[in-house]
Amino acid sequence: MNKTSNHKITVGLPLMYHEQGEKRGFLPDFIYALEKNGADVFLEHDYGSGMKLEASAYSDAAPGVTFVSHNDAYQQDIVLNLRCPSDDDLRKLHPGSCLISMLHYATRPERVNLLRSLRLKSISLDSIKNDSGNRMIENFRAVAWNGLEAAFQTLQNTYPEPGFFSPDRQAIQITLLGAGALGAYTVKAAVHYGSIPLHEKLAQDNVPGVIVTAVDYDITNHARIMRGLLSKTDILVDASARVDSTRPIIPNDWLAYLPAHAVILDLSVDPYQQKLGKNYTKGIEGIPQGNLDKFVLFPDDPAYARIPDYVRKENRRNVVSCYSWPGIHPAECMQMYGQQLRPIMRILLNQGGLNGINPNGRFFERAIGRALLSKIGR
Amino acid sequence: MREEPGEKRVFLPDFTQKLTGIGFEVFIEEGYGNSLNFYFDNYKSDNPSIHPLEREEVFKQDYVLILRSPHDGEFVLLGKNSCLISMLHYPTRPLRQKIMGENNIQAISLDGIVDDFNVRLVENMKSVAWNGLEAAYTQFEKYTPNLIREDGSPWKVLVLGTGMVGKQAMESASKLGKKERNYEHIRLGGPGAVVTAVGRNITHNKSQMIELLAESDIVVDATQRYDPSKPIIPNEWIAYLPEHAIIVDLSADPYTLDSKPPVVKGIEGIPHGNLDQFIFEKDGPNWGKTIPQSIPTANKRKTISCYSWPGIHPESCMRHYGQQLLPLMQVLHKKNYHTLSPDGMYFERALFRARLDSYLKKQIKR
Repeated sequence: MNKTSNHKITVGLPLMYHEQGEKRGFLPDFIYALEKNGADVFLEHDYGSGMKLEASAYSDAAPGVTFVSHNDAYQQDIVLNLRCPSDDDLRKLHPGSCLISMLHYATRPERVNLLRSLRLKSISLDSIKNDSGNRMIENFRAVAWNGLEAAFQTLQNTYPEPGFFSPDRQAIQITLLGAGALGAYTVKAAVHYGSIPLHEKLAQDNVPGVIVTAVDYDITNHARIMRGLLSKTDILVDASARVDSTRPIIPNDWLAYLPAHAVILDLSVDPYQQKLGKNYTKGIEGIPQGNLDKFVLFPDDPAYARIPDYVRKENRRNVVSCYSWPGIHPAECMQMYGQQLRPIMRILLNQGGLNGINPNGRFFERAIGRALLSKIGR
Repeated sequence: MREEPGEKRVFLPDFTQKLTGIGFEVFIEEGYGNSLNFYFDNYKSDNPSIHPLEREEVFKQDYVLILRSPHDGEFVLLGKNSCLISMLHYPTRPLRQKIMGENNIQAISLDGIVDDFNVRLVENMKSVAWNGLEAAYTQFEKYTPNLIREDGSPWKVLVLGTGMVGKQAMESASKLGKKERNYEHIRLGGPGAVVTAVGRNITHNKSQMIELLAESDIVVDATQRYDPSKPIIPNEWIAYLPEHAIIVDLSADPYTLDSKPPVVKGIEGIPHGNLDQFIFEKDGPNWGKTIPQSIPTANKRKTISCYSWPGIHPESCMRHYGQQLLPLMQVLHKKNYHTLSPDGMYFERALFRARLDSYLKKQIKR
């Protein structure tokens, strides 16, 4: 994959074939930046169409771009895809080529094994970190704001008398599980109702605001305290990053303490899965998983039927959950990712590809170095 | 830095060695580092590019790097072509800005170095929050071993403000200000902390605030006010706090009643601390020393306040700043104040935004 005098590095950008609501693709100005840095860029036919971008938007911005088939987009030196491709698509990459995607090495051991067995190289976007250990390609802000926006929209319909918009109602009580990086963005979004216009309207009408109570994972072992908090909660948010994903933070029984109108917001979107004889569960037990097609799930939603049998799910409330929260506003999301990724791609292309990256080199090289598949222990 | 004796921060020998690796010749003021038990030999370490120099001469170098701003009277020491790199806080220090402008000083403000998303690249908000909360919980721990109370109740913390410092305050408050302490607390079955955060849409509501204050063990001011001339918590509201409660002042706005607009603290009638003294007992001798007479002080609670929270742990603070500064210094080795471009690479753009010239031009446009 090294650039030589007569070989420009090729970059393939396939479409993401996930749920229909997944509309994201990198924007034309980002594609132009790739080309400007010496790459030959191959976009899958219809790239960007989910965001109503015509092929001409790309070819006007980056005249050298070539539109190719799904298969051919995977046959390039570097394949860039925001969400990890399916296993079948991963097999389309040729050995030695480099996949750049949100690969979540730590929680996807099978994927790591597959990448290795296919002799692929990879950079996991979620592992690109600066010297202080902060993620450089992330959109926690969109996760928090989009999630809270959806949760408050749902709460508007369920909130009891005198109603959500009444100046006579109590302040909205949010209980937040997790006080880490995502939790931090959640607090800001929550006190603004996940929507600046809504926040301004309610402030203008003198409607009481929002109180956010955060509890770290550890206090949740104290049932008496948690029950007290849950009983006055309007929105319960899971923004936790658990060490042990086999144990929920809120067992399904406890959901019974939530008021009937309460909304559960799932920002962590941990999966239910069985691996190596262990049952993994969401932080809030018994809530269903949503996606970009459907992220508001009522207690009778068919999604409950897809929850594995080992999970208790008798107690239910309205749930707001989405595997890809930033994807709700695709263009804004890709603007952000494009801007964050630009210096990474520039150094990767200018160094002649992954083999030219020195993991102990300059700032962005070090950041890339931390995200390599080869860094993951066997 | 010629500040209070408790200000011990200096850039570390490892950082200056790396500066020479970039290609700089480094000149160190005599006595630099002594506050942290570093001496010139620690900095020199046989490196021919590191030299001792008197303070006046240090100010004449191409770049003058000093974490906290020099005092107003020291700006005249800067060489004609020198570029000062420091925490200059242009927006809140109009007088300093004026002096620098009058002296045609080239300056890059460390707090103004922001990326394309307006996120600061040289900051230590985490230390602000963690150091402040660590100090507060340590006070409680003096009479509550392992922070486990007899009634088994969790610590209740009220955080005012949900910006960068507020976010960090929530995390540190939920972990009892210190991870090691939190692990031990959990191991012993402690109930932890319940942290409540409120923004502007609650803080103006007196009855709601009194309800929250009445059950708080710790109140944290992490606000950034639109109008710093008005407090968020008037002194009379402090009366509703439990007697044992502690106020933590992370915003650390000083009382400057003669500025326009005047600035008062977010929590009215609390003292303004520094690295020499940041814990104030309500009946302590220094309580009133920093509070102007016109400020009401009838209601008092133990207060933790410090102008430079990260300086409490000076070495780790400077390691952090050094790490953040190195990629920026690489750019400054190739470019200078005048050749920095808003269309340059990532770090160059960030530096451009922090130039005094860039700031002043932006102000004129507004």
